[in-house]
Amino acid sequence: MRRYESVIILEPDMSEEDVRKFTDRYSQLIRTNNGEVIKIEDLGSRRLAYTVKRKDRGRYILLDYVGGPAVLKELERRLKISEDVMKFLSVKTADVVDLEAFKAQPEARPAEEPVKEAAAETPSESEAVDEEALKEEAQAESAGIREAQVPEEAVSSPAGVSDSGENSEASAAENRDKEGE
Amino acid sequence: MMAARPPRRRYYTRSKLCRFCADASLQIDYKDSDTLRSFITERGKIIPRRITGNCAKHQRHLTNAIKRARNIALLPFTVPRR
Ligand SMILES: [Zn+2]
Repeated sequence: MRRYESVIILEPDMSEEDVRKFTDRYSQLIRTNNGEVIKIEDLGSRRLAYTVKRKDRGRYILLDYVGGPAVLKELERRLKISEDVMKFLSVKTADVVDLEAFKAQPEARPAEEPVKEAAAETPSESEAVDEEALKEEAQAESAGIREAQVPEEAVSSPAGVSDSGENSEASAAENRDKEGE
Repeated sequence: MMAARPPRRRYYTRSKLCRFCADASLQIDYKDSDTLRSFITERGKIIPRRITGNCAKHQRHLTNAIKRARNIALLPFTVPRR
């Protein structure tokens, strides 16, 4: 089992109820594929650094979950089709995860387990990215990141993995554009 | 010409220590755009570590995080000249 997280940018004008339906649908999807949702975090509506689908704001949702590669594949397939999704990014945050440990105590994570952040990064968007961005991507990151299964250098990085909860809180707090919830 | 060159003035100050090594509580996270923002220029380019003083390891993690952040529109790829 692997641990993944997906950041999803939803259309900014979705109602709270539609957002909730959306997250429910996707946590359902993860479970039916033998995965387990660790947490779903609403990072709120934020200003985008560049326009996506001609919009300059988006609703950020963070999905943190455990599952096999099939979960990710199916999830991404659905995200690509969905009309509500403007853009998304999935990252593998741990290679080997004991699913039972999460099920036993959903909130308490196995403490300080050395996890490595590998490159299961699939930058995909539901619209064409501008050419320049892609070019820069390609030369900067070379092939590594697009080949989802090739792990990065095995650095045991505390960043974004075991403490990802903390980090996300930080980014949520930093989100001054956050619109009411 | 053997004349000694006048010493070059450096106009930037280089911080001596990597900020991430100095402060273990400071994490590199691609979702934390505010922290990442201090390592890019106004034009959106990644600042080289010779200027920021980051160590190689943290600069590497940082560039990866910045590139991820760009992908989910938290940071710009480029800031066009107006
Ligand atoms: Zn360092």
